[in-house]
Amino acid sequence: MVDLLIEFLSNTGFALAGYQNIIMILVGIVLIYLGIAKSYEPFLLIPIGFGILMGNIPVIRDFGLGIYEKGSFLNYMYFGVMHDIYPPLIFLGVGALTDFSAMLARPSLMLLGAAAQIGIFATFLGALALGFAPNEAASIGIIGGADGPTAIFLTAVLAPRLIGPIAIAAYSYMALVPVIQPPIMRLLTSRKERLIRMEDPREVSKREKLIFPIVGFLLCCFIAPGALPLLGMLFFGNLLKESIVAERLARAARTSIIDSVTILLGIAVGASTQGDVFLTGKSMGIFILGASAFAVATAGGVLFAKFMNLFLRQKINPLIGAAGVSAVPNSARVVQIVGQKEDPTNFLLMHAMAPNISGVIGSAIAAAILWSFLGG
Amino acid sequence: MYGLDAISAHNGWQLAALGTSIVFAGLIILFLAISQIHKILEFWDKRDTYYQSIKKLVHRKHRSEATFSDPVLPKNVKGSVRQFKLLIEQIGEPFPLPKLLDFSEKCGFPHSHSSVNDLLKAKLIIPDGKGYFLWNQEVEKNIKI
Repeated sequence: MVDLLIEFLSNTGFALAGYQNIIMILVGIVLIYLGIAKSYEPFLLIPIGFGILMGNIPVIRDFGLGIYEKGSFLNYMYFGVMHDIYPPLIFLGVGALTDFSAMLARPSLMLLGAAAQIGIFATFLGALALGFAPNEAASIGIIGGADGPTAIFLTAVLAPRLIGPIAIAAYSYMALVPVIQPPIMRLLTSRKERLIRMEDPREVSKREKLIFPIVGFLLCCFIAPGALPLLGMLFFGNLLKESIVAERLARAARTSIIDSVTILLGIAVGASTQGDVFLTGKSMGIFILGASAFAVATAGGVLFAKFMNLFLRQKINPLIGAAGVSAVPNSARVVQIVGQKEDPTNFLLMHAMAPNISGVIGSAIAAAILWSFLGG
Repeated sequence: MYGLDAISAHNGWQLAALGTSIVFAGLIILFLAISQIHKILEFWDKRDTYYQSIKKLVHRKHRSEATFSDPVLPKNVKGSVRQFKLLIEQIGEPFPLPKLLDFSEKCGFPHSHSSVNDLLKAKLIIPDGKGYFLWNQEVEKNIKI
């Protein structure tokens, strides 16, 4: 009887816990706190935070409980991450939520979304310089796309062990966009530029909104076939939304499907974040590079807008370049707030949505390119 | 390996430059394509109007070609073209046809009714759509008198 009790006690978490488990549990609690108390990306940080708690409970090996043990509950949830199932399903919901009117009304603003993706490749170079392997560097670089599903999609293929820190870095910085972007935007623009008013966008017809997802999907996937899962679902979701006749499917995509997948993704990503990967110098490097990715992407978008103004009669307010960082709609909101600090009557939000949305497309294309370069 | 050496060793510069270029190229192509969608839709909506105007243009070309190449005028009427033109200049344009006939009879023009009829057939005298008539100078230019 005593032996049984001793055996039982030796299998409890109290006996098996190491310092890494304790620290990771505290990290999980911090993320849950940030999500609930501070409302920092709560839809992701709460599931990821709780997933960290689940994944770092010390368990006996080969008991069928750990996330990396085949047949375990967490392992089945992790299947959707490892096989890139969840990110495209999230993009389905994103497409069903997105209105592309702003982009269709003034397509030239798409180039600002392209310019912001410079952050991805600059961070890729920075990660290589810090000694990361190319596939890890690419996974870190994609944080600069400010797109959680895209970051998870690429990392699952190129560097699955880094999924935890990269996802946490990506979503944390997306939540910190209102803190990271404004100083950079003010540094790179003059007051006169921040006061530029843009003319109202033209009316976009229903037929344009119907044709765009089909044309956009075909063009993007012919150029970068690796973007097929993400952009295919994005444009499909949008087509469901714009078609009206499939409103029930669009509603399912933007509510129950995206919410269910977000829960599964968050828990799985969190549970896969183990102490031996997260509590290393590499993670610190990922967090530093992630912050620089956002900064470079913001600067890239703003500077490109100023460059475009050299050739345009109808000037663009360069602040909207910052919205090329595809943290939809946070970065567009930041543009609105910074613009209104200079002129409360200047409404930039709708204009900023164009580069914001094109940034989503641009980051998916960038991920496809990195996958094709390094995925072999 | 760290720093610039690490970047060069892994072809980082080439990958970054090529990747950035492809992203830009992709979005430029998409921008060019979607900037044309509303124009194509506008053209599609107005296709009947464009078709009608092209049809009219072709029809007008055929009619003026026929006029230029083959003005049908009897020899005796060719002589009266100048007379009728002077008379119309006196009456003024647009003129009512009965007035032209009346004046031509008073001026002693031979076979004034049949001459006016021939001028109408040859489109030297054309209706203005309001019940009056005009002298067609375009046709007159192509007739050897």
